[in-house]
Amino acid sequence: MNQRKLWDLLPRFTPILAVLLALLVGAVMLAILGTNPWEAYRALFIGAFGSTNALADTIVKATPLLFVGLGICIAFRGGVLNIGGEGQLVTGAIAATALALAIPTWPGWLIILVSLFAGMLAGAIWGGIAGLLKAHFNVNEILSTIMLNYIAVFGMNYLLRGPMMDPLQIKLGSFTPQTARLPRAADLPRLIPTRLHLGAAIAVVLAVAVYVLLWRTTIGFRIRTVGKNLRAALAAGIRTKRYMALSLVLAGAFAGLGGAVEVLGLHHRMFTDGSAFGFTGSAGFNGIVAALFGQLHPIGTIPASFFLGALLTGANKMQRVMQVPSALIGALNGLIVLLVVGSEIFRRRQMKHTDKLGSEQVSAADTKEEP
Amino acid sequence: MNKVLAGFVLVALIVSSIVILGMAAPFKVAFVTPSTINDLAWSQSMYDALVTIQNEMGKDNFQFVYSENMYVISDAAVAIRDYASQGYNLVIAHGSQYGGSLVDIAPDFPHTAFAWGSTANTFSDQGITNIFSYQPYSEQGGYVNGVLAAKLSKSGMMGVIGPIETGDAKRYTEGFQQGVMATNPKDKVSVTWTGSYSDVSLAAETARTMIQAGADVLTGTSQMVIGAIGVAKKEGALWFGYDVDQAPLAPKIVVSSVVVDWTVALRPMIALIQKGTLGGKVFPLTLANGGLKIAVNAEGLVGKTIDGIINGDIKVKE
Repeated sequence: MNQRKLWDLLPRFTPILAVLLALLVGAVMLAILGTNPWEAYRALFIGAFGSTNALADTIVKATPLLFVGLGICIAFRGGVLNIGGEGQLVTGAIAATALALAIPTWPGWLIILVSLFAGMLAGAIWGGIAGLLKAHFNVNEILSTIMLNYIAVFGMNYLLRGPMMDPLQIKLGSFTPQTARLPRAADLPRLIPTRLHLGAAIAVVLAVAVYVLLWRTTIGFRIRTVGKNLRAALAAGIRTKRYMALSLVLAGAFAGLGGAVEVLGLHHRMFTDGSAFGFTGSAGFNGIVAALFGQLHPIGTIPASFFLGALLTGANKMQRVMQVPSALIGALNGLIVLLVVGSEIFRRRQMKHTDKLGSEQVSAADTKEEP
Repeated sequence: MNKVLAGFVLVALIVSSIVILGMAAPFKVAFVTPSTINDLAWSQSMYDALVTIQNEMGKDNFQFVYSENMYVISDAAVAIRDYASQGYNLVIAHGSQYGGSLVDIAPDFPHTAFAWGSTANTFSDQGITNIFSYQPYSEQGGYVNGVLAAKLSKSGMMGVIGPIETGDAKRYTEGFQQGVMATNPKDKVSVTWTGSYSDVSLAAETARTMIQAGADVLTGTSQMVIGAIGVAKKEGALWFGYDVDQAPLAPKIVVSSVVVDWTVALRPMIALIQKGTLGGKVFPLTLANGGLKIAVNAEGLVGKTIDGIINGDIKVKE
C-alpha cells in the first residue's frame, strides 16, 4: 500500500531526479578531467545564487526562457510542436528595435509599450506563418518553424549589415553589424540596481495569464482538447485547424515579446555575430526544455526557467573559477536537457499506469510544490 | 619622544611594505573570447600571446585566466563584469561584438583597464578613459598573401571565405584583392561572406563550391576556415592562412599565413597600465611594428614584398 503510494508520487519528481542524475554523471566527467567536482559545483552554485548580482543575472537569463516556455506550454498543450522560438525571438527583437529607433522623441513609456507590442506582433506573425501552413496545407510545423528560424536569422543579418546598421559604425568605418543604441527613455526600468529589469516581472504576470487562458477560458479548453484528442475535438465540433494555428500564433507572440524585452531591458540595441545564438543564447530551444521541465504548466515553467537560468549562469562562472574547458559546460547542459526530456517520456508512461491521477491534477499539484 | 619616533618607524614600515607588496603583486589579466582557445584562429592567437607574455614576465609576475566560447554576448558581458569586480588589472574582451557591453561596464570600474578589438574605437569620445583597443592592419598581410596567390594560381581564379564583412576580416579580404590585382590584374577573386564565424561545415561547402567553379587558391578568416582547409587539402587547392600559422593543419597546401602577434599590443599596454594609464590608446598591429608576421614556405618572394611595404615601395590602401 505504502509502496504503491510512493510509486504514484514518483512522476512528480522525475524532472528533479533527472537533474540529480545529470549532475552525478557530470561529476564523473569533471573528476576524469582532474577537476574537483565538489569545488566545481560550488562555483556553479555561487555563480548562480552567490550574490545579489549573481541572482539578478540568473533571473535575467531565465526571463527569455520563461517567455518562450509560456508559448511552448500553449503550443504543446494544443498539440503543435513549436521549434521556432529562436526565429520568433529574433523577429520580435528586430521589430521592437526598429520601432523604438523610429520614434525616439516620444515619451519613454509610450516607446516601451509600442515597441513591446510590435515585438509581440512580429513574433505572432512569424509563428502564424507556420500556423497557416499547418492549417491550410498540413505542413509539418516542426519543419516549417525550424526553417523560419533560418529565414529570421538571415533577415536579421541583412538588416543589421544594411538598412539598420548604426550610422556611427559606418562613420567609424568599423561596420560592426549592430544598430544604434535605443533611446535611453525606452530602457525598461531596473527592479534593483543590477541588470535585473522589469521584463522578469512581466513574464511572471503573463505566466498567470497563460494559466487563466488555458484552464479558465473556452479558448483554452478548446486548445487543450485539440491537443489531447484531435478526433474527439473534431467530433465535438471544434475547428481544430483554427486552434492549432492559434496555438502557434500565441507561441510566437510570447517568444516575440521575449525578444522585444531582451532588447529593451538588457541589450538596448540589436547586434549579430551571424547566428541567432549570439543574441538569443539558444533561449528559443532552452525555453522548450524549461516548459517540459515545468511539465508544460505555465506556473511550473516559472521555477523551471529560473532553475535553467541558474544552471546556465552558474556554468559560466564554473568555467571562470575552475578553468574547465567550455566543451564540458556544453556537455553538462546537454546531459541535463537529455535527461529532463527523457524523464518526461518516463513520467507520461508512469501516468498512464496511474489511473487515480489525471494528468491535469498531476501538473496542478506539481506547481504547488515548486518554490 | 621615543614613542613618536617609534610611531614614525611603524608608519614608514607599513607604507613601504604596502609599496613592496603592491609591486610584488602579479599583473592579472582576464581574457574573454568568443571561440575556443585552440581554434587555430582568432582566439588562439590571443591565447598564445598571453602565454608568451607569461613566459617573458614569469608566472609570479603575470597571471591570466580566460572564458572561452562566449558566443552569447550577454554571457560575455556577465563574465567581463565579474572579472572586473574581482580586481583584475586588465580585462580583454576579444571581439568587436563586445564593444556595446564594454561601454556599459567600464565606467563602473574606473581602476580596471579594459581592452578590445579589432577596432580603433576606445570610446574616449564618450569620456571613457579606461578602454584600450587594438587594430590589426590586416590588409597589409592580406596584400602579401594576395601577391603570392596571384603568382601561384594556374587557373587565375581565387576564393576568399569570410565570416561577416566587418573588422579585420574585411580588411584582410580587401588587402588580398589588392595584392592579387597588383600582380595579375586579369585574375578573378570571388569573395563569399558566410554570415558566420563558427560554421565549419558552411565554410567547407563554400570551399567546395569555389573549387568546383575553378578556383585553385583559397584563403579566408575566422575559426570556421578549418572546414575550408580540410576541403582544400583533399582537392589539392592552395591555402593562405590568417590569425595563426595554419600550416600544421595541411603542411603541403598552406603556402603562407598572416600571423597576428598580439604581444606587440600587449607589452606596451601592460607597461602603460603599470604606470597608471588605463585606456584611451589604440594599438595598431602592422608589418612594420611586427604585430603582423608572415609565416611562410616561399621566403624569397614574401620577404621582398614585406620589405616593399615597410619601406614604402608598395602602397596598400587602408
